[in-house]
Amino acid sequence: MRKFATTVVCAAAMLGTTSANAETLTAGVEAAFPPWAYVEGGEYKGIAIDAMRAIAEEQGMDVEFKDLPWPSLIPALAKGKIDILVTGLNVTPDRAKVLDFSIPWWENDDEVLVTEDSNLNVVTALCCGQTVGAQGGSTQFTWIEENLVNADTGVEMRGYEDYVTAVEDMKTGRLDSVVTSTDTAQTLISKGQPIKIVGTIQQNQPQALAVQEGDPHELLAKINKGIMAIYNSGQWGEIMHRYQPGVQIRQIPTTMPDYVDSYEKPIPGYSN
Amino acid sequence: MIWEIIWDQMPHLLHGLSVALQLLACLLLVGIALGLTIALIEVYGHWSLRFLCTVFERVFRGIPAVVLLLLFYYGVTDFIEMTSFMAAVTALGLRSTAYQSQIFRGAIQSVPPGQLAAAQSMGMSKAKAVREIVLPQALRHAIGPWTNEYSSELKATSLAYVIGVVELTRQGKYIISSTQGNVLIVFGVVALMYFVVNRAGNWGLYRFERAVTVPGFERRAS
Repeated sequence: MRKFATTVVCAAAMLGTTSANAETLTAGVEAAFPPWAYVEGGEYKGIAIDAMRAIAEEQGMDVEFKDLPWPSLIPALAKGKIDILVTGLNVTPDRAKVLDFSIPWWENDDEVLVTEDSNLNVVTALCCGQTVGAQGGSTQFTWIEENLVNADTGVEMRGYEDYVTAVEDMKTGRLDSVVTSTDTAQTLISKGQPIKIVGTIQQNQPQALAVQEGDPHELLAKINKGIMAIYNSGQWGEIMHRYQPGVQIRQIPTTMPDYVDSYEKPIPGYSN
Repeated sequence: MIWEIIWDQMPHLLHGLSVALQLLACLLLVGIALGLTIALIEVYGHWSLRFLCTVFERVFRGIPAVVLLLLFYYGVTDFIEMTSFMAAVTALGLRSTAYQSQIFRGAIQSVPPGQLAAAQSMGMSKAKAVREIVLPQALRHAIGPWTNEYSSELKATSLAYVIGVVELTRQGKYIISSTQGNVLIVFGVVALMYFVVNRAGNWGLYRFERAVTVPGFERRAS
């Protein structure tokens, strides 16, 4: 009887989580990455979440979100576990090889963070025996590695699962500085972390959504059209200001690097 | 302030705990069913079947749980459509099968072989003797070591977030990321919840073990 009861619970649990509907777009997010995607009060929130919902509505699609840890997102997209990757995803040459980017909808620079009471400045925070932290596998991580660690500046680098833990480590003194994107830096500060920005590394780093390499489900055209539609209607600006009050809205598309295949004309849903 | 947030978020943490417990129940059930089968084969089966079972058990005991989860989610689901939850049940369930098979094998072998011979000499078939003489004792012997398996699998469910199962640890992570801090407090609360469930389960299993003990056949000095 006990076994039977457990079997029923098991079967119910499995059915409950089976929702593979062919009509519904599965959008992969890392729901621990504010202001782009996070969970608060049991609900998905963030710029990428709200924008994706608006795009889906505009294009007459249903969307459901699937939360996966950041290092799993790109493999999950490559494997087709998710249809689209929706987060503050930076456009990079390496990523362009394994996925197709939508037109870029945002641009970021990187900020150098230290603790509030630190005497380090933009130069001393990134050289001469300092330990610098970044999220493992992020563009900041690669930047530090290529420009500081490999350039014999005496910098030691540590990778973290996310920026909250990197900042916690900096507060306990195990890190001297942290390099992260402007969005993340401002979110950390606005939530009351005792840290400050000592310098900005101008990157003009474009960010975009991504679909599977080769766009097998022909989503890019819909996504690009949807992005332009919510941008032109002012919805995008509203969403941005909901999460980053006062931020200056950039013109979409932002910088389109020429190493991205999916930016070669004609760009589906955007230009001929 | 953080305590208010944790209090407000408690329903979500509890929901995460319930997902963890569902995962635990399913994987333990897979482990009991298959583990007991493998144990019986390893003790009484034909040598070729015994060999296969041993290979299975060595493989699944020799691979870290996280790697198994990733292998099943990214590999096996190419052939069989599976949700994250089902992939986690399968990966952790088969791993638990390997461990549980050794618990049950040891328990079966701890019943003196003379009993089987005696039962057969009284006219019982081997299958009946195993079912009615050996197993009732062996299963009682297995409860003690099985308690460890319960504890260790409860803790292993916290790894399932790597393939997208939103269980207790992940719910904790949500609070940390939406408040951008409070790592220690939130994970402290999460740790306490695991600890309580762990102790409660152990306490229940001890009670169960005592309730089903046959006088004269106790194994635990109490």
